[in-house]
Amino acid sequence: MPAEVIAQYAMNGAMLGMMYALVAVGFTLFFGVLDVIQFSHGDVVAAGAFAGLAAWTLLTSAGVTSPGLLLLAVIGSAALVTAALGALVARFIVLPVKSAPQLNVLLVTLMGGTVLRECIRLFYPGGSQPKLFPALLPATGWSFGTFLLRFDNVILLVSGALLIAATHLLITRTRLGLAIRAVAQDEETARTMGIDFRKVVLVTFALGSVLAAFAGVMDGLYYNEVFFGMGLLLGVIGFAAAVLGGLGNLYGAIVGGFLFAALQTIGAVALPFASAYKDVFAFGVVIILMAIRPTGLIGERASERV
Amino acid sequence: MRRAAAALIATLSFSAAAKDTVRIAFVGPLTGGNSAIGLGGRNSSDLAVRLRNADAKAKYQYELVVLDDECKPDAGVQMATKAGSDRGIVGGVTHYCSVVAMATVDTYHRFGLPAIVWGAVLPDITYAHDFKEIHRVNGTMINQNETNAVFINQHGFTKVAVIHDTTDYGKGHNKYFTRFFQQGGGQIVATFGVTADQQDFTAELTQIKAQNPQAIYFGGLTPIGVRIRAQMDKLGFKAQFDGTSGIVNDDFIKALGPLAEGTLAFREGAPAEKLPGGKQFLADYDKQGYSNPPEAYGPFAYAAAVLLMDAIEKVGPDRKKIIAELANVKDRDSIVGKITFDDHGQNTVPAITKYVVQDGKWLTWEESEYASGKRKLTNVR
Amino acid sequence: MRSRAAAVLLAALATAFAWLLLRAESQGAIAALIALAVLAGFALLRTRLLDAFTRAALRDERLAQWLAFAAVAVLALLLPEDDFSLLLLTRVLIVIVACLGLNVQLGYAGVVNFAGASFFGVGGYTAAVLSRATGLPHLLLLLAGGVTAALAGTVLLLPILRTRGHYAALITIAFALLFRTFLEVNDSLGGPQGLKLPELRIGPIRFNDPVAAGPLEGSFYLKYVVLALLVLAFFFAVVQRLERSWIGLALDAVRIDETAAATFGLDIARWKIAAFVIGNFVIGVAGALSAFMIGFIAPNNYSFAESLILVSILLLGGVGNPWGLSLAAAIVILLPEKLQIIQEYRFLMFASMVVLILLFRPAGLVPRPMRRLPGTPR
Repeated sequence: MPAEVIAQYAMNGAMLGMMYALVAVGFTLFFGVLDVIQFSHGDVVAAGAFAGLAAWTLLTSAGVTSPGLLLLAVIGSAALVTAALGALVARFIVLPVKSAPQLNVLLVTLMGGTVLRECIRLFYPGGSQPKLFPALLPATGWSFGTFLLRFDNVILLVSGALLIAATHLLITRTRLGLAIRAVAQDEETARTMGIDFRKVVLVTFALGSVLAAFAGVMDGLYYNEVFFGMGLLLGVIGFAAAVLGGLGNLYGAIVGGFLFAALQTIGAVALPFASAYKDVFAFGVVIILMAIRPTGLIGERASERV
Repeated sequence: MRRAAAALIATLSFSAAAKDTVRIAFVGPLTGGNSAIGLGGRNSSDLAVRLRNADAKAKYQYELVVLDDECKPDAGVQMATKAGSDRGIVGGVTHYCSVVAMATVDTYHRFGLPAIVWGAVLPDITYAHDFKEIHRVNGTMINQNETNAVFINQHGFTKVAVIHDTTDYGKGHNKYFTRFFQQGGGQIVATFGVTADQQDFTAELTQIKAQNPQAIYFGGLTPIGVRIRAQMDKLGFKAQFDGTSGIVNDDFIKALGPLAEGTLAFREGAPAEKLPGGKQFLADYDKQGYSNPPEAYGPFAYAAAVLLMDAIEKVGPDRKKIIAELANVKDRDSIVGKITFDDHGQNTVPAITKYVVQDGKWLTWEESEYASGKRKLTNVR
Repeated sequence: MRSRAAAVLLAALATAFAWLLLRAESQGAIAALIALAVLAGFALLRTRLLDAFTRAALRDERLAQWLAFAAVAVLALLLPEDDFSLLLLTRVLIVIVACLGLNVQLGYAGVVNFAGASFFGVGGYTAAVLSRATGLPHLLLLLAGGVTAALAGTVLLLPILRTRGHYAALITIAFALLFRTFLEVNDSLGGPQGLKLPELRIGPIRFNDPVAAGPLEGSFYLKYVVLALLVLAFFFAVVQRLERSWIGLALDAVRIDETAAATFGLDIARWKIAAFVIGNFVIGVAGALSAFMIGFIAPNNYSFAESLILVSILLLGGVGNPWGLSLAAAIVILLPEKLQIIQEYRFLMFASMVVLILLFRPAGLVPRPMRRLPGTPR
């Protein structure tokens, strides 16, 4: 296989991996503070993309043409809407059932996600069909033979990485991060130390959802198309990536995201069966990996105290 | 009990009309990934019913019973049973998804309910049995792909890569296109099946690009068609994009913008605006203010509903008589062209229209600047 | 005596309501009936009457079972010609059977299974392939569906035994997604076009002919109702015996605290395997029966979303309680059907209702009662 083609595959996989990682980081943050899976997260991604699209539509119809300004508005509105959504989901769907069995939270958020998805389909104008997402980044790039390294892809990758790094810094270096980690370690103790538990949870959910907004906008800018059902598979894959890496672990989510993207790419191009089997392959490998490392690749060591 | 209730409702809601109310069913996907086309079909049938009800000369007042088959066979059989077992329903405009249409054939036969398929394209739906109940106004995928393959060959595309979705729709299209294209001496350099909810096609496209085909044949529907075309551009991959009936709609162009330019696609039936009544249909559709466009198969759903109501007007609301009457349909004018049912209930007029996108519009090939040579398809040498 | 009266009353009310709902056609009637049910349910919950009532009704469980059996039979006989209602009724019964299997896994042993529809599909595909390729008696094929589903499940045993909680959930979710894609891509099992099944025959009975037995005439679906009811009665009894027995006790121990169970000498792995295999067998039988009834199967029927519906039935009803899941199955199957009148909005409506129920009643509609061991006070 020529080097240009391999480079192209690597680039494709990296873009996918970054999107998965961004979604997976959200899952892992939520799990950290509340020990729950917020399964509407994938649909929050879609909501973010559509919020960005709505901002673009409004501004362009108002006569704004500067791509920089538009991009800012798209990201800003996506982030605002998802942050609000994330906090709302936490406040009205997750917190009330926090003490119910894990499975309930999973199901109630899944159904909440369905409500969100159906709302986009039915109430966003023309929402049942794919929508054009504007190309706001430069469309040129460097050519290496047949391999085209596009500026927009590079920008997206770098900003995704920066965003995850910033999240990491926020969690490890700030007072807010300290509070989040305290709640993640032990809710009761954190409360007795004077940490406003509810506030920390809401902020964490908003934060994770903003990452989702970026994943949604990135998805839109990369594919130039958004669809009401786009969050469905993205959510499941993000969840798979977070679990595969080890829930509650930021690095795990990143590793899981890129690993899943790599599996899909390999499944599509390097294996001796039809590319339609790539998801069968990727999920099959996930099952096998889970059998080998039951708490994820970078999971906490579970010890049983009797 | 129910009859009394139904009569009561009928008198309440239509007390002004002295006509008898006749109920017909519309079945299609109203939820899920194919809902856009389902809603377009629903609205079109609904339009046909409204127009007929507004017509003072009509003998009956019509009521459309709308049922959602979710594009799933079990839900489809349930809905077919609902329509079939309700003796008040005398006919149906049924199914967009081929797999559902296949699953329900037996049910319509069992209940003796005349059904006119408005969108499903699998040949077996009409040809795998001898049931008199089943009709279809749209063509099968066979005709469509024959025209497509011949056209592509003639225009100098000899190396083609195929991407199709792994539903019955995409797999069927792949089968017939590949057959006709190879018969014509063309070469298929690669074939990729992709799932209908897949979003990223860069891996497949990179592989195809390395094979350097002149065109990509795409067998599938708008959502992934849009993604594939957009991602071809991201990879700097220039090849002719050649699609099927599933992408002939405004959303394809809206979602792609200028990238849609020069896309080819083929569909059975003449374009609505070219036919008697077609323009009127589009104008009437706009007037009703539906929130969804009619989509590619809306005109077929409209034509099927009109056909059904014409039969009812003629022989009365009796299932057996309607079936007998539908067997006589020959050279009937409709907004999708002349309709003639063969002995399997299949509309045999294989008028395939060739479409190409020019300046953000689907034009027929003949009227486009591509045909006149003013513009060129990608890679034509 | 009071408990008996309560049970009879409950059964009669449920039958009457189901009859009304099945017959309701107009928008107004359906809306009124749903509103009535919601209001009644809300009032009963608020006053804690529902719990008291069901407890009383279920005190004599054998009586309750007979009453439920009778209620379904009466319901079917009230609608002998109404094919659609009978089809819905059969579907509810079959889904209850599948959920009973899931209940053994999740409700008793605590083994999460988000691939219920996949095993349902394995059963269906087994029935389809074998009935097309061989002349085996169809009754045997129902069993074969169960056996194949149980066997297919063994692939997942190792990863499931090694993982817990969300990690285990991921394994079955991955399997559900993989299974559906595999069916669609792979042409040897019919591919996306699916497979048609022949008419179900058991002995001399042909299931697709209308019923004409003496004075009784009616839809051929009556036969399916009877068959599904028999299958359900059998598995219902089995599952309840299982729960009552020391096996049920062992499964409870495994679910509630693995570590403690292990220290008392219970072989955790063995019990989890047993529950998973039994559960999949039951689901597989239900899948085979369903495939015969619909007469056609395709990958679309066995998606992850369908698995979720099975799990939601369990949670809505109250995990571990066969009565609860029966009620929930009826709601989850009938409600979307009756919501056909709101067309494209019905899925939105349905999902919102599930969210609301889970928010206001996290333990499900009819939570599993506490186990009463001999010697504990009532």
